[in-house]
Order: sequence, then structure tokens, then C-alpha cells
Amino acid sequence: MLRHGCLQTEPDGMKKIFEICLGVVTSVGGFLEMGSLSTAAQGGAAFRLQLVWPIVVGTLCIIFLTEMAGRFAAVSQHTIAAGIRDRFGIKFFLLPFVAVLIVNTLVLSAEIGGVSVALEMATGLKHPWWALPVALLAWFTLWRGTFGLIEKGVSLLGLVTLSFVAAAVTLKPDWHQVAAGVLPSVPHHDPANYWFIVVSILGASITPSLFLFYSSGAVEDHWDAGYLGANRAIATLGMAFGGCISVAVLVAAAYVFPAHGITHVDDYHQLPLLLVAVFGFWGFVLFVASLAFACFGAILQIALEQAYLVAQGFGWNWGENRKPRDDPGFCLVYTCALAISAIPIAAGVDPLKLTVFSMALTAVSLPLTVVPFLVLMNDERYVGRHGNGVISNTVVVAIIVLAFVLAIVALPLQVLGGA
Amino acid sequence: MDIVRDVLDKQVVDRHSVRMGRVDGIVAELRPGRPPEVIAIEIGSMAIARRVGERTARWVARLAARIGGARRAEPYRIAWSRIRLMDVDIEVDIDMNDTPIDDWQRWLREHVIERLPRWLQ
Repeated sequence: MLRHGCLQTEPDGMKKIFEICLGVVTSVGGFLEMGSLSTAAQGGAAFRLQLVWPIVVGTLCIIFLTEMAGRFAAVSQHTIAAGIRDRFGIKFFLLPFVAVLIVNTLVLSAEIGGVSVALEMATGLKHPWWALPVALLAWFTLWRGTFGLIEKGVSLLGLVTLSFVAAAVTLKPDWHQVAAGVLPSVPHHDPANYWFIVVSILGASITPSLFLFYSSGAVEDHWDAGYLGANRAIATLGMAFGGCISVAVLVAAAYVFPAHGITHVDDYHQLPLLLVAVFGFWGFVLFVASLAFACFGAILQIALEQAYLVAQGFGWNWGENRKPRDDPGFCLVYTCALAISAIPIAAGVDPLKLTVFSMALTAVSLPLTVVPFLVLMNDERYVGRHGNGVISNTVVVAIIVLAFVLAIVALPLQVLGGA
Repeated sequence: MDIVRDVLDKQVVDRHSVRMGRVDGIVAELRPGRPPEVIAIEIGSMAIARRVGERTARWVARLAARIGGARRAEPYRIAWSRIRLMDVDIEVDIDMNDTPIDDWQRWLREHVIERLPRWLQ
């Protein structure tokens, strides 16, 4: 997901409202990507509407984390990565740094896989052939583009993912059952698979690159304490509406897949059925466009986040609005990130398996980034009187602990079950 | 001032606000009979490696010496007297272009970016 709302001048009245709307629209357009799409589809197919709750819980957590990321950047003028290095020193910093680099590399691969799969569906040419061209196109966009173009352009194209909402509504779901799914429940069958999907849905919703990126954008756009209100509105509305798209995917999957005898989505060729079953041929076109645009936006965001992370951690110059010749080191990082992450897909690794695995790994890695970030959010030297309240601390800690414990339990179970 | 809390790991910018790196190390002089005096800050992967551990430091020193000769095996030092301002960032009275810190990026610029076709520059 891309960051939302370039608030460049002192916000006032109408302008502020316009900026908030733009911020919300871009974050909705950028919400869905390979991870949230695949995990919601698997959840809906296997457990129907029972798995609405991890999407709700994950979205709630990411709302809190993005709001904090914007607040931290606006008040302290630091990005989160810079803040962690600054507060905890290099030795500690290397832990979350390496963890995020690894997780981002895998997720970036998954997103390159997503666009490649979309292109395979559109052309018939197998997806490994598309990995390098996709990475090259993303590289070119970053090399020549500016932050505003990348953020707004790609997120607006990503609004095509709203077709999943249209599909879910057209299917006339039982809304009482959807609402019942918001409450956590235990599985009636296949518990190992159930908890593994819960973990991967949580990992797909609470992506560290997302809130790290958000803080970089806020610094890049020179936010100050005057943006706290706008930040709260953009984080809450943008992520909440975005979460609705994930729920829509799950609802569509719950009605479409079991009706076609599919309870295990383990092949990406099954995915277009989500929209084809509702809209026919145009559903296929919408699915391919949704997958391509959504994943391409995520590629740009994660590749940039890799460069932000390295540059901020080591104090280099950084910024997507500068020319490559001004920041060769920054550009070198995203160039390498794209090249490395294209390799597994080009080598024929299954994009869907890689996606689900990366999402579960994200859930395991969360404490390494979130815990130091929470310490910063409670440190007066950084956030002054804008520190966290009891509610935001409690909610985030509870959800991160839940995701981590479930991941530690469910990952081995899934590996054993799969073998 | 708490030297570790307020100086170590902070962002360093030069006199034109160009980011130079972070304070990777602090150099203090031990003086017999008097308290030690902070004389410089250090920037560079060698200083980072020393803080991570002795083995890492030896390993990085060997690597750095092989790539850039003996002068690369020591971090870049900025005299304490050059520090002009300490706020969110630490501003020093130096032009980064006069230091070897940026050598590798200069190399990339001259040997890679400037050799790309014009429309990619």
C-alpha cells in the first residue's frame, strides 16, 4: 500500500478536507495486494465467513500503527527506522533491520509474482518469464518517477480492486453471518489449517513495510504537529475502507469457491473465479487488472521502503524526489532489492505458496519492529506530549502478541501437516 | 549532556545540510589525573563493526583494507570543535565533498550513472 496524502502546505479548511479525501482514496486504492488477496481467498474458501475476524483484528492494528507512524514523524521529525537507530543504538537496530530486510525481500518477490501471474493470465506466457520485465518496469518507474506520481498514480489505478466489493455485494451475502464472523471462533474442522490462515491473514494486514513507509512519506512531505488531525483521519478511514476490500474478497471467496467444489485454494489459477463467477468475461478482465495494479503498487512501495530503511539507518541521503545522480546509494539499494526479489519468481517458485509463507513469516517478525516502535511512542524526548495513550498501547501489544504466539504455534504445524 | 544518549547514533549533516552519515563512534582522550575529554566523532562501517563485536571488526577491517587500501581500515573522524549545532540532527562545519565518506557514491555516479544513456540520467 502506498502512503497517503501529500500535505505540503499549511492545511486549512477546504484544502485540508480535500487532502484528507485524497489521502483516504489513495490508501484505499493501495490497500489490497498479493498477500491480503490470497490469504482472504484461502480463508473464505476453507472456512467461509468464519474468518472475518482476523481481517478486522489485523486492520484495527494497522490503523493504530499507521496513525502512530504519522504522529511520530510529524512530532519528532524522525522516520521510525531513524528513531530506532537513534534511540537504541546500532547493535540493537541491526535486529529489526535485518528482519525487515529479509521479510521485505520475500514479500517483494510475492508481489512481483502477483504481477507476473496477472500477465500470464492476460497473455498465456508462463509467469517466470515475466518476473524480470516486471522488476525492470518497476525499477524504471522508481528511477524516473517522483513520490507524488508513484503514490497517487498507482493508488488511483488500484481503485479497480473495488470490483471485489461490487462482487461481494452482488452475491447478496447473509450479512448476519458476515457480522457473526467478526467474533473470533474456534474451527469445526482442520484446526491446523485454520490457525495457519489466521496467522497469514494477520501478517498480510499488519505489514511492517507499510507503517515504516508511512513515516518516511510524512517526513518527505514535511509534516508537523498541524497535521495530527489529518493524519488520524487518513489512517483511520483509509485503512478501515481498505480492510473492507479484504473482507469483500473473503465474502466473495466464501460464496464462489465452495459452490464450485473448491475448499482449498492452492493454485493461483483458481483465483480469477472470484470475479468470473459474478461478472463473467469482464470479471476476468477486472481480476487481471486488480491483481496487476495492486501488486505493482506494492512492488514500488516495498522496493522504496528497502532503500529508505538502509539510507535512514546509516544516515545517507534519501528521498524519492531527488534525481538518481544525487543519491546513487539510495538508488543502488532499490535496484538490488528488485533484482534479488525477481530471482525466485524467475526460477519458477510458486507465487501463491511464497506469498502465504511470507505473510506467516511477517507475523513472526512483527515484535522486532513493533516493540521498539512502541517504546519510541512512549518516549517524551521524541513525541513530547503527543505520546501514546493506554488504549493504543494495549490494543497494539495484544494483537502483536496474538499474531506472534499463533505464528509460533501454527507455522510448525503447517510445515508438518504439509509434509 | 549524556554523550551516548544525545550524540551517539544521531544523524550528521554537513554545512549545506547534506546527510553525511550517523555518529557511529565517539573518540575520547584519557588524560592522567583528569576526566577523559571527548575529542571527535566517527563515521563509517569500521566504527559500526567495532561496536557490534571484535570478530566483526576484524572481518570488516580485512574487507575494507582489501577494497580501499589501508586508509579505509579506519573510520572517518570529525573533530569535536567542528560541531556547530545539535538538534534533531548534528550539524558539522565541513563540506561532505571534501571528505572520503562519499567516495563510493561518487564512484557510482561517475562509473555507472553517468555512463547510462542520457534519458536514464
